[in-house]
Amino acid sequence: MKLAWKEMTRNKTKFVILGSIIFLVSFLTFMISGLANGLSQDNASLIKDLPDGTFLMSEDAEETVTYSRIDPQIQEKVLSDYPEAVGLSIQMGFLKDNEEKQQSVAFVASTGASYFEEPAQGEVFLDESLAEDQSVGEELLHEQSDMNFTAAGFVKQTTYSHSPVAFISLEDYEKMFRAEEMQLLFVPGEETVQAAGLQSFSKANFLDLIPSYSAEQLSLNMIVWFLVVISGLLFAIFFYMMNVQKIKLYGILKGIGVKTSTLFRMMWMQMMAIALVSLALSALLSQGFTMIAPANLPFSLPVETTLLLSVVFLAVGFVGATLSGIQIKKVEPLQAIQQGEV
Amino acid sequence: MQIKDIRKSFRSGETVEEVLKGVDITLHEGEVTALVGTSGSGKSTLLTIAAGLQSSSDGSVLFEGKDLTLMNQEEIRQIRASAFGFVFQSAHLVPFLTVEEQLSLMLDVAHSALSKKERKAATAQMIEQVGLTHRKNAYPASLSGGEKQRVAIARALVHQPKILFADEPTAALDSKRSHDIMKQIQTLTKQMGIAVLLVTHDEEMLQYADRVVEMRDGVVV
Repeated sequence: MKLAWKEMTRNKTKFVILGSIIFLVSFLTFMISGLANGLSQDNASLIKDLPDGTFLMSEDAEETVTYSRIDPQIQEKVLSDYPEAVGLSIQMGFLKDNEEKQQSVAFVASTGASYFEEPAQGEVFLDESLAEDQSVGEELLHEQSDMNFTAAGFVKQTTYSHSPVAFISLEDYEKMFRAEEMQLLFVPGEETVQAAGLQSFSKANFLDLIPSYSAEQLSLNMIVWFLVVISGLLFAIFFYMMNVQKIKLYGILKGIGVKTSTLFRMMWMQMMAIALVSLALSALLSQGFTMIAPANLPFSLPVETTLLLSVVFLAVGFVGATLSGIQIKKVEPLQAIQQGEV
Repeated sequence: MQIKDIRKSFRSGETVEEVLKGVDITLHEGEVTALVGTSGSGKSTLLTIAAGLQSSSDGSVLFEGKDLTLMNQEEIRQIRASAFGFVFQSAHLVPFLTVEEQLSLMLDVAHSALSKKERKAATAQMIEQVGLTHRKNAYPASLSGGEKQRVAIARALVHQPKILFADEPTAALDSKRSHDIMKQIQTLTKQMGIAVLLVTHDEEMLQYADRVVEMRDGVVV
């Protein structure tokens, strides 16, 4: 340990350079992860914020929510078998305010449960993002059905397919869209629920059915993991180059009796010290950014995600450094001694 | 240490070259044994085999009743760390450690039973014995060639080894510094009762040896 620390303090520039690179890469990773997560929340917080559970839709809908129609008898059976279950319908549409300003929304109606807002007939609960232009008590018009709604309140970030959610009553939904059947059933719980004529989806699988969700997340997550791999490679390359420079020194140390495992521990300690300081700094800055990020910027970086990514960074860095350390194992003391000055 | 009938061959393609052809030498406590001979006579190869830095093709190296040639790498490493000291043509100091730290590293490696306070005292005493007290906080980059070699000697002896292996320790130094270094090796090893196996091609240095063994074409003559 002492050796590792001594080398770091004596060669500050070298280690600060590596630390800065790791800091930049990890900071970028945290920020992109925050954006990926933010976009995912922006895209589908209506679904994401639900507890784990099973979504059921009609088999003939071919995994498209808008085509799904659940047979009322099957719905009744599922709702009676699972008291926590809820019927749910989602339709994209527009609401127009007094100033003739049109707003795209996702109309959501449910059979009633604690998971969704349940407004009275003629009322609507809107996502908080609409609070800038609308206010409680304001009249809103759904032109296609010629129905008027009164804004009864706002709900904390609730979106679907990048649109703010507008919760309406089941009666209003049936009138607006002339549909008596629900599109979906949601059964909370870890157990996978099956029902005749219905297709089951876990929460994660259902999210992938939302248009653009999986494509958007896939590309952003690819960038995140690509950066994680790059940081591992950076560690591997940096320690490889350092080890090449120190190959004679390792030989001499082995010659005087230093254990190979001690040399590996020295390298691991240096890797951990650089990574921990860099990660702590980038985690702190990215968490700080969540506090000052503009409200309309889709950015969400939970502490758990930061910790998970940090652990992955450490693991990848450890593997990278260890792979580069194979040279330490190979070095022969005699060869180093015969090669002259360190 | 008893070196018995040591043989060493190197294979180069189809040909086998025998560098050592059965060498017997015994090293005694407090005695400086100098190995001399022309280049290629096998003296350095013999030293590295005796020090456990490379294996022999045949023969045995008995140290405290145990045969080094039959030991595994870890057992040899333990002996190198605790009972052997090394001084080479180059000082081979750790560039990021001060003079004092070079010596305490050696005590750590040798798993010295000394307490922290005793280690500090032993380190200070050894630095004083090689006349470098005023340079104890210096890094190798700021030391002269002679100073570096004196640090190497102090590092090789601080853990009080049983045998010091010195391979051309003065080859890179001028005449005055060479005599200084050899005097120090002689004085310190006599004081501490350490056996020395010295390889040198410099005849002037033989005055510091108790015994001179000449080698030619892989055998003692």
